[in-house]
Amino acid sequence: MKVRDLDCLYEACPIPLIKAIKELRRLNSGDILVVHSDESCVGVAMVEWAEQNNYQVKLVETEVGEWEIYVQKP
Amino acid sequence: MFKNHNYYGKDWIKSMMQWLKKPWPYWVGGVLLGVLNVVLLAISGTVWQVTNGFLLWGAGALELVGFEPFKWEYFKLYNNRYEEIILNHNIFINKYTILNIGVVLGSLVATLLASQFKLGKAKNIRHILFAFLGGLMMGYGSRLTGGCNIGSFFSGIPSFSLHAWVFWIFITLGAWVGTRILIKFLI
Repeated sequence: MKVRDLDCLYEACPIPLIKAIKELRRLNSGDILVVHSDESCVGVAMVEWAEQNNYQVKLVETEVGEWEIYVQKP
Repeated sequence: MFKNHNYYGKDWIKSMMQWLKKPWPYWVGGVLLGVLNVVLLAISGTVWQVTNGFLLWGAGALELVGFEPFKWEYFKLYNNRYEEIILNHNIFINKYTILNIGVVLGSLVATLLASQFKLGKAKNIRHILFAFLGGLMMGYGSRLTGGCNIGSFFSGIPSFSLHAWVFWIFITLGAWVGTRILIKFLI
């Protein structure tokens, strides 16, 4: 199991989501992708996308105005 | 009894924080924006618009360095919109400016209440370049259409403006093409 970080700070929707989907394609089953973002809508969009596609997902607000989204490839 | 009161008090604050922090559903935002736009029109006689204020700033800036943009054909076409402001020399501070300041202040209050305020940064030169290019293209486009998403679409449709429907079709097509280009070539 690998953990891959994806730095999407200061990037606007929908770029982080597109980057994350591309990165997830490269990962293997069980690997975890951590998306770092400073836009609240990125987390919302990621969670929505992950739930629709049956990925395990967790959204954490790490500090003021900053989020980490954990997505595990099934 | 005091304890109970305290407990409920904290609960209330907690749900209030949740309500301020969590994004509201799209339909709530839509209804609110619609109602607020009607209120704005009823009070001030102007519908919500964004880029027309920026246009005046840009033209005002050009005037400061010696151009005469208000003599251009464009301002003859949109005479009814800007004549009063130009004649009164309110290029930089006018109703459009107040609307735009309101948007910034409102967003600031909302993000502070959610305690999610954070200043953005440019990541690298490419980031700056694309932001500049995007701004330039959107600005130019908004002049061709007489407004942006807000002025031409959001305020246009309820005013029974046919051009808002044309704008809607083409902005949808444009967003689709733009997303394709973004996915294929830029990310």
